[in-house]
Amino acid sequence: MKNSFDEKILEEANDWLNANQKVVLATVIQTWGSSPRQVGSRMIVNETGDFSGSVSGGCVESAVVRECIGLIKDNKPCKKIEFKVSNESAWEVGLACGGEIAVYLEQIN
Amino acid sequence: MNHSQLKEIIKKKASKIEFAIVTNLENGLSEIYEPGKSLSKEFETHKEQIDNFFKLKKNGVIENTEIFIETYIRPIRVIIVGAVHIAQYLVDFAKSLNFEISIIDPRGYFASEQRFPDMKIINKWPDEAFKEIETNENSALIALTHDPKIDDPALQHAINKKFYYIGALGSKKTHENRCQRLKEAGFNSDQINSIHGPIGIKLGGRSAPEIALSIIAQLVSETYKK
Repeated sequence: MKNSFDEKILEEANDWLNANQKVVLATVIQTWGSSPRQVGSRMIVNETGDFSGSVSGGCVESAVVRECIGLIKDNKPCKKIEFKVSNESAWEVGLACGGEIAVYLEQIN
Repeated sequence: MNHSQLKEIIKKKASKIEFAIVTNLENGLSEIYEPGKSLSKEFETHKEQIDNFFKLKKNGVIENTEIFIETYIRPIRVIIVGAVHIAQYLVDFAKSLNFEISIIDPRGYFASEQRFPDMKIINKWPDEAFKEIETNENSALIALTHDPKIDDPALQHAINKKFYYIGALGSKKTHENRCQRLKEAGFNSDQINSIHGPIGIKLGGRSAPEIALSIIAQLVSETYKK
């Protein structure tokens, strides 16, 4: 449950910011049931939808990217999103493993 | 989180300082927490819970609040004795895992910088080398020389300091001889049996990277049993 000093996602976020890109940091803050990545897992997204890192095993990343771009467009500081199997959009972005996760999005400015 | 906080976090990570990031999920305000240091008004009321998460090395949301904590704790120290071919691959694998590697080898021709770029190798005998490294029950030892003169003192140090993982390379026969020597040196069977020998999980591989993979797999598995 600990973060690795070696994980380089925050360093990458810094590089993107230094290159004048807008960056949203997405972090897994809660999980219920079986979920592919633990609390504290991260992913970064820029305004054009490039991303690095992961918050699940590939199940919800596309939705997270969309939400992050939305956050930048609306110029909002942060947002919490939850992914459940029971979501209406489950067929599209649900977690196949049956778990639920909450992801926190924040713009780094 | 703002950009200057991000830079501070990166700096702390690079200097291996333990810390936590505390975020108010409602308004997005974050702060960097270090044990013993005070927090701003925003988070001070939750100090006890924050301390607790930190002690348990846990990430998560404090119950009934919108405060999220992420802890960054120092990686596990892994000491490799023997700057041999397998060690070169172990260093590569460890890069993507939360391990901090130190290599000990008194033989200068093995411990060259060219063989291990960006890696500090302690070019001393284990007894001397361990004076430079802080070790405890959160440390791991991988002994690779199968030379009793080099491996044995390191194994004895690891047993005495109760390392959570001790592994030694060598055939079954080599390991039997090693156990016999440790018995003669006064170690009991529990202590001797704490050594994984022959080292590694049964992978069936034979090449240096394959052996390194089987060792690192065993190390990760034992790390999660802690």
